[in-house]
Amino acid sequence: MLVFDHVSKCFGDLRAVDDLSFELEAGEVFGLLGPNGAGKTTAINMAVGLLEPDEGVVRFADEAFDRDPRDAENRRSLGLAPQSIALYEQISGADNLRFFGRLHGLRGSDLEERVAACLDFADLTDVGKKVVSKYSGGMQRRLNLAVAIIHDPELVLLDEPTVGVDPQSRNAIFERVEQLRDGGKQVVYTTHYMEEAQRLCDRVAILDRGRLMALDTVPALIEAHGGPGNLVVRTGDGESRHETTDPLGTLAELQARQAVDHFQYLPPDLETVFLNLTGRALRD
Amino acid sequence: MNKIVAMAAKDIHILFRDKLGFFFTIFFPLMMAIFFGAMFAGLSRGPASIPIVLVDADRTAGSARFVERLETAGGLAIERIPGDQALEQVRRGQTAVLVTLRPGFGAALDNPFVATPEVEMSVDPTQFAAAGMVRGVLLEAAGAELQAFMGDPSRMSATNEQNRRLIEQVTPPSTARDDLLTVLDQIPRIPALIDEAGLGSVTAGATGGFGPPLEIEQTQVQAQRRGPTNSYATSFAQAMLWTLIGGSVSFSMSIAIERSRGTLMRLLVAPITARQLLAAKGLACLGATLFTSSALITLGITVFDVTPTSYPLLALALLCGSICFCGIMMVLSVIGKTEQAAAGVGWGIALPFTMLGGGMVPLFLMPEWMQTLGNISPMKWTLMAYEGAIWRGFTLSEMLLPCAVLVAIGVVAFTLGARNLRWETG
Ligand SMILES: Nc1ncnc2c1ncn2[C@@H]1O[C@H](COP(=O)(O)OP(=O)(O)OP(=O)(O)O)[C@@H](O)[C@H]1O
Ligand SMILES: [Mg+2]
Repeated sequence: MLVFDHVSKCFGDLRAVDDLSFELEAGEVFGLLGPNGAGKTTAINMAVGLLEPDEGVVRFADEAFDRDPRDAENRRSLGLAPQSIALYEQISGADNLRFFGRLHGLRGSDLEERVAACLDFADLTDVGKKVVSKYSGGMQRRLNLAVAIIHDPELVLLDEPTVGVDPQSRNAIFERVEQLRDGGKQVVYTTHYMEEAQRLCDRVAILDRGRLMALDTVPALIEAHGGPGNLVVRTGDGESRHETTDPLGTLAELQARQAVDHFQYLPPDLETVFLNLTGRALRD
Repeated sequence: MNKIVAMAAKDIHILFRDKLGFFFTIFFPLMMAIFFGAMFAGLSRGPASIPIVLVDADRTAGSARFVERLETAGGLAIERIPGDQALEQVRRGQTAVLVTLRPGFGAALDNPFVATPEVEMSVDPTQFAAAGMVRGVLLEAAGAELQAFMGDPSRMSATNEQNRRLIEQVTPPSTARDDLLTVLDQIPRIPALIDEAGLGSVTAGATGGFGPPLEIEQTQVQAQRRGPTNSYATSFAQAMLWTLIGGSVSFSMSIAIERSRGTLMRLLVAPITARQLLAAKGLACLGATLFTSSALITLGITVFDVTPTSYPLLALALLCGSICFCGIMMVLSVIGKTEQAAAGVGWGIALPFTMLGGGMVPLFLMPEWMQTLGNISPMKWTLMAYEGAIWRGFTLSEMLLPCAVLVAIGVVAFTLGARNLRWETG
């Protein structure tokens, strides 16, 4: 299991990650939610051993083992889909998969099986032989993800896998992530879209300026930090908003005073959680 | 090993996919080879001062005077070294022409009635143009020498006196002998008689009656060993050098590209070591440059009649040249962090070094200090190795020096580059 133990990383004066601690649990999709510059990518890079923490330790540990991220054995068990698309554009999608598969020691029919499975996973079977530079942005994103799992790793780290894709492709990626989880993988998923975290993640760590603001399941976070929801009602006088933790009670109260033509309840969400925790909106 | 091969194969695959990279690594050098080969086949060049080595096998006052005249005449930069070393120097291509003053040279110079001074020119066959110019300078100097002799009645009389005694000593009296002696007596009067007859302008500088003032026997240094070479032999060697340069620049760019496209990050996360990664880059560069340089020379051999003097040595030269440039590739990729920087740095360094190493203009046309400076250019050693195997007829031991230099440069550069290569991806 991936463990961050009081990990900090500085770039000059900037503390990109500041005293971050968490521990992954089996079979979960773990979200790192935060705005641009929160330190998500820095955390991911430390998790895979590309960066060394200045303070604290990153380990892969359970009862049976305790490994450094750079350990070769460990590298075989994790897959990274970097935030920016990292593919060889001049060769085909299948050749990209084949190449990274070989790097992970796959060969012969095992390799070809995995290549076919990953092309299928990314819904690229038809275009597998085409060079990657001819792919659309969404297709490249999906291949970027598929390359991360060519060696069937136990832990998959996805750094903002939906950046720059249309809603349809985004949905396709959500389904892939759910498929991974259902297949028993652990997934670390970074995003600055709270809807994504809310939909996909079992637990979410909210990061801001390198610091961990809160870490829990989505309902628990909302329960703890969401505050009241909003009841929006329309009457003859127009539209009005009412903060409430008891929408039914509030609605009855309002209706007793004046006829309500229309109402809508907006429950607190991760957006409000973030706002309440940091005093800022998640998106600028 | 499997992983290293996979990485190297991927790089080569990408290199040959990239049309522009492919152009610069093989078609561009090939076109240069054909262009310059054809051009030099029909072109004579006129350098300001041609370096020659000179051996004075005569060692008389006369030969010394002739050498002095050559030195002051201009047009030649004369180096004097012992005979066997001199020939080696031409054979290795360090000097275009060897001029040997044969024994008896001085005596013939001082007695043109009896003999013609003889020189031998040993010529690098690819530098026939330079040889032609040397020949001209020699003839001119010999002509001037003869004229000086003719213009000096006292020297002429002294020689005459000497000849007369010689004839009297060795032949018994006869009418033929008497006639010959009478003719001899008249010879010193020739210049005066020409003047008297008012023929000075017509026969100015005349050496007529004595034949050419100098007998030149020209030998081709390589021609003694095998058939004639052609100008494509030189231009293909240069093209092979260019393909190494193109290949090393392309591969140094490929590391920068891996960095900027983020694939380096994937490689670093994969279960391979930095050492394996470096080995793969080196192997890919080695494979690609070996392939392109071999392809070029194969074309030269099959289509342009280039006939290497030794195929095993050619293989050795190809290998050592590629090793050298793979090392250089590593250094280039340290200096050029981005694609553009890598390309700029690569070509920016390659061009002056290539010029210095004789990859553009033949070395003998350059000032001496520049030729000495050329020793620091890997391009020079590469050309020496290639040419040594293609047409200079190097022996294995002669091949060892350039090859050792190339491998040393390659290993040192690769190590330096590999140590300083920054793997960070950001
Ligand atoms: N190599 C680096 N050198 C200097 N500063 C860096 C470096 N990498 C990241 N930073 C800084 O560290 C902070 C955190 O960056 P990081 O990339 O981890 O954020 P992020 O949460 O991934 O943001 P985004 O959503 O934009 O990807 C930022 O302020 C960034 O400018
Ligand atoms: Mg990021």
